[in-house]
Amino acid sequence: MTLALLAQSILNGLAAGWVYVLVAVGLTLVFGIMNIVQFAHGEIYMLGAYCSYFLIKSCGFSFWAALPLSALLIGLLGIVLERFFFRPFRGRFEPSIIVAVGLMVLLQTTAVVGFGTSTKTMPGIISGVLTVSGVTLSWDRLLAILVGIILVAALFLLIQKTKIGQAMVAVSQDPYAAALQGIDVNRISAVAMATGCALAAIAGSLMGSIFSTSPFMGTSAITKGIAVIILGGLGSIPGAVAGGLILGLIDGLVPPLLSPTMAGIVGFGVIIIVLLLRPRGLFGHE
Amino acid sequence: MANLEIRGLTKHFGGLAAVNNLNMNVNHGEIVGLIGPNGAGKTTVFNLITGFVRPTKGQIMFEQSDITGQTTHSIADKGIVRTFQLTAFLQDMTVLQNVLVSCHLHPKAGVWEAILNIPSYRKKEQYACDHAMDILQFLGLDSVKDELAQNLPHGHQRLLGIAMALSANPKLLLLDEPLAGMNAAEVRESLTFINKIRSAGTTVLLVEHNMRAVMELCDRIVVINFGCKIAEGLPDEIKRNKDVIEAYLGAGEHVTC
Amino acid sequence: MSKGARLVKPASYTALILLLFLVPLFVKGAYPLHVLIMVGISIILTSSLRTIATTGQISLAHAGFMAIGAYTSALLVMDLGLSFWAAFLIGGIAAALIALLVGYPFVRVRRVYFAMLTLFMGAVIRLTIMEWRDLTHGSSGLLNIPPPNSIVIPGLLNIAFDSKVPYYYFILVLVLISLLFLYRIDSSRVGRTMLAVQQGDSVAESVGINVTNFKVLAWCVGCFFAGIAGSFYAHYIRVLTPDSFGVMQAIYIVVYMVVGGRRRFSGAILGAFIVTLIPEVFRGLKEYQPFVFVGTLFIVIFFLPEGLVSLPEKVRERIRKRRGVSLGQS
Repeated sequence: MTLALLAQSILNGLAAGWVYVLVAVGLTLVFGIMNIVQFAHGEIYMLGAYCSYFLIKSCGFSFWAALPLSALLIGLLGIVLERFFFRPFRGRFEPSIIVAVGLMVLLQTTAVVGFGTSTKTMPGIISGVLTVSGVTLSWDRLLAILVGIILVAALFLLIQKTKIGQAMVAVSQDPYAAALQGIDVNRISAVAMATGCALAAIAGSLMGSIFSTSPFMGTSAITKGIAVIILGGLGSIPGAVAGGLILGLIDGLVPPLLSPTMAGIVGFGVIIIVLLLRPRGLFGHE
Repeated sequence: MANLEIRGLTKHFGGLAAVNNLNMNVNHGEIVGLIGPNGAGKTTVFNLITGFVRPTKGQIMFEQSDITGQTTHSIADKGIVRTFQLTAFLQDMTVLQNVLVSCHLHPKAGVWEAILNIPSYRKKEQYACDHAMDILQFLGLDSVKDELAQNLPHGHQRLLGIAMALSANPKLLLLDEPLAGMNAAEVRESLTFINKIRSAGTTVLLVEHNMRAVMELCDRIVVINFGCKIAEGLPDEIKRNKDVIEAYLGAGEHVTC
Repeated sequence: MSKGARLVKPASYTALILLLFLVPLFVKGAYPLHVLIMVGISIILTSSLRTIATTGQISLAHAGFMAIGAYTSALLVMDLGLSFWAAFLIGGIAAALIALLVGYPFVRVRRVYFAMLTLFMGAVIRLTIMEWRDLTHGSSGLLNIPPPNSIVIPGLLNIAFDSKVPYYYFILVLVLISLLFLYRIDSSRVGRTMLAVQQGDSVAESVGINVTNFKVLAWCVGCFFAGIAGSFYAHYIRVLTPDSFGVMQAIYIVVYMVVGGRRRFSGAILGAFIVTLIPEVFRGLKEYQPFVFVGTLFIVIFFLPEGLVSLPEKVRERIRKRRGVSLGQS
């Protein structure tokens, strides 16, 4: 294995990792505040991609205009879903899981029926590649990474520095105590869901334009997202970043170093080992 | 002989010592009371003895064998069973089912035995059923045996907790605030039960806040505060002990052991 | 109970079983028999999933373990020339062993993590099958999987698996044996202990129940039967692709269990039966058919949370309440 190939693999892994982070960060936010495993998060990601696609293709928006608009629309969808599907079962583990997987099937089928099963391509953000000392990275992937870093940093600041962010922390630690302090738990849940869905929509739009958009792209997103937050710890944003980058590196390095077959197993094995040592994940608390 | 020996037992949570260098014994056939102000570490001691929590330092010996750091279910197998402060029971099951489940160790039955439903298993089930009914009758719960556990009034729920612990045939029974929330009549009844349990051969260690009951019931009392033992002796001695009185009135600052 | 009354239940079950054995005499078409065979597979999958759920764990990996059984059995017969009857059992054992391998770390985590871990594991199984092309032919799949070896007793029997009928009888026997086993677990001390593990693991531990061991037991037993169902499936459908064993399929099995109702043993059977029939009844709807599926799920979850099997008692309760009210007024 040459140094160039190694460096390329690491870069590919990190690039993939940042997308995992974007998906996982939204998921962990929803989980941390609302205490539900939002299995339909992958479908939200997929709908975000389709939303951008239609904004670009049918309404003539540019990609960079469609992106925030899609985030907004999907965020609103998230508020509706939280209100009617998740709130009635808040705090109850089993029904919440059932509702989430039910939504997963519902949303995916809606996409299949509405948009067809063929993949769609979105006009690329920017074409061309950047090559530095034998290592290549396409510009669109680099931009995706930058957007990811900015968003995660912004989210982190939002949580640490704003009142609403602190309210979210309070709700995630103890909803009853938070309510006693006068925090409107319903409103916070809605905000968390909206933010999580907006992040997923952005991630989906970015991935949809770099690769392609299909009704089935959500399933791989949720699988990766779940792996990341198990590894990183439920409800932890630094955990989502660490977990996403680690799993991204595994996906980048294992296929060339070992074999493509092993990528899934190695990732799985790493998660199992971490769980044996730290049952709450790398950064998990509670 | 059901002898419990605790040597140098210490548990740190973060920087705080919830239990600090505790030394105490419980001898066969005794009823020992463990008292102290709120937050003194009494439930932590129970958690340490029964393996729910691992000690930071120290040793716990039961019947001359070391049980420090073992799992809860194997400690139960050795004969130490506890009740819970916030009464724990199986909500969606009936009183009888709750007690039947607790007969798990007595008599033991293998998984294949149960699946194949062989005569030896059926005999064991019958025995467990009879045993369960005996315990329910002993505690006066047989009339509600088919009620869902969650529908019982509070006092009965606490008795159910005791019934479940008894079903495991403990040599040493740890009662965590068995009298909490009971009225005078219920307290009377419970004290009678606890005495009967001791007469039947079970050693008892209990945590309780009801001072009058503790003084009346216990052979010996151990007092802890901030995780340290501050006094030990007969009820009369403890009643007059200055450190104990101060601890309860809050005048005592953090005591070092 | 009078002697007569005590005999009603076993008698009706016996009658039902006899009826099931007589079905191929009345049902001649290949398609209806196919549907019944698929229902049989679903019943095994759903009931074994329910066993895992008895300890409070919701597994989203069941389709993955079905895949393990399916591919193990198919490959043992095709590549190693084993007899189906050995390969089939080994398929189930392989699933159970892999379950055991991950069992201990899996059951120690919180229930939420368990559900997520199993979803992830199911995806990893499918991905590994897809990538391990040398062994499994990846997405192209395994084709022309041989049917079960004929059952031959010289002079007496020669059953060849060349039509749907022998498969029907085979799955019928398999379902009956599996249900008997799972029912025995559920209704015995083992099942009672598993319920205790679900409802109060602290108090269970304190009376001497090894909670971890029981969770692993339920998990491995459940996965074993998923593997067995998979083995049967492989040699019945005779084509295997990784896409048949994805996240969606795993979710469907959970839906069968929830719609039927998981508190009672019969709930899983009812759920598998009814929900497997939905795609068949609503065939015309084609790609809209998952909507009916999800619609049923949401109706149940919002209005009948304990599943369809609880319908009779809910109706009885309502009638009792109405009667109580009108009596009070008279």
